[in-house]
Amino acid sequence: MANSPEVGQELPAVRRLITQERIERYASASGDFNPIHVDHEFAARSQFGSTIAHGMMIAAAISEMMTAAFHESWANSGRLKLRFRSPVLPGEVVEATGRVKSVREDGNDSIVTCAVEVRKPDGQPAIAGEAGVTLAC
Amino acid sequence: MTLDYSKLSSGQTISSRAFKLDGETVREYVSAVSDAAPEEGAANAPPMCLAAMSLRGVIDDLQIPGGTVHAGQELQFFAEVGMGEELTCNAVLAQNSVRGEWRFLVVEMETRDSEARTVLTGKSTIMTPESA
Repeated sequence: MANSPEVGQELPAVRRLITQERIERYASASGDFNPIHVDHEFAARSQFGSTIAHGMMIAAAISEMMTAAFHESWANSGRLKLRFRSPVLPGEVVEATGRVKSVREDGNDSIVTCAVEVRKPDGQPAIAGEAGVTLAC
Repeated sequence: MTLDYSKLSSGQTISSRAFKLDGETVREYVSAVSDAAPEEGAANAPPMCLAAMSLRGVIDDLQIPGGTVHAGQELQFFAEVGMGEELTCNAVLAQNSVRGEWRFLVVEMETRDSEARTVLTGKSTIMTPESA
């Protein structure tokens, strides 16, 4: 897909099991120790009733999908616009999917825009938005 | 103890931090988000790792309280960043408003490498409970 994406083409989906251990590792790496992610007692009293994963941790699945589809173009020209729609709880398997929405020529480049989302096991979107890259023709 | 967010104004710099993209932190990040084993000797960090490390200073300096919700994120990547790179992230408050029981803070950030080239820009929308 890297050099010749077509409108409607699907990106390679990424599935990920979210565990509390992973959430705590992410907290350590990112420095985000918000108790909603790591403090079970605090989180149990929250509107979610449980700890939840960091939104950026879940968004990493979209980035992994874009890297698989567009290789180094993603790191060199990637654009993301995401809304975090619903929380992901430990024990849930999420799936990042995407589809090429438009391909626009701009001089020697192709501007590719994809609709992307991450869904929870019940089909609810955890994240929805757009991701794009610029490909040199 | 958290900041009095009502006193923060648009255009105000809320964080300016230098950090190093060290291999140990990148490997920990990769082990959290990926099923693949962290790549030994990888030359570059994943783009989202760079974003997470850049947001680290923003989270610290905003003293974000428990119950804060990350509502939205925009990012643009401009270049691959190598392990060990020294980076600087500056973040500015773009918007500060209250709707109902929530305060909405929109933070714009820019991360530059050691040669002052922009490698990442971002815009984060976070919601904090107004009673916090």
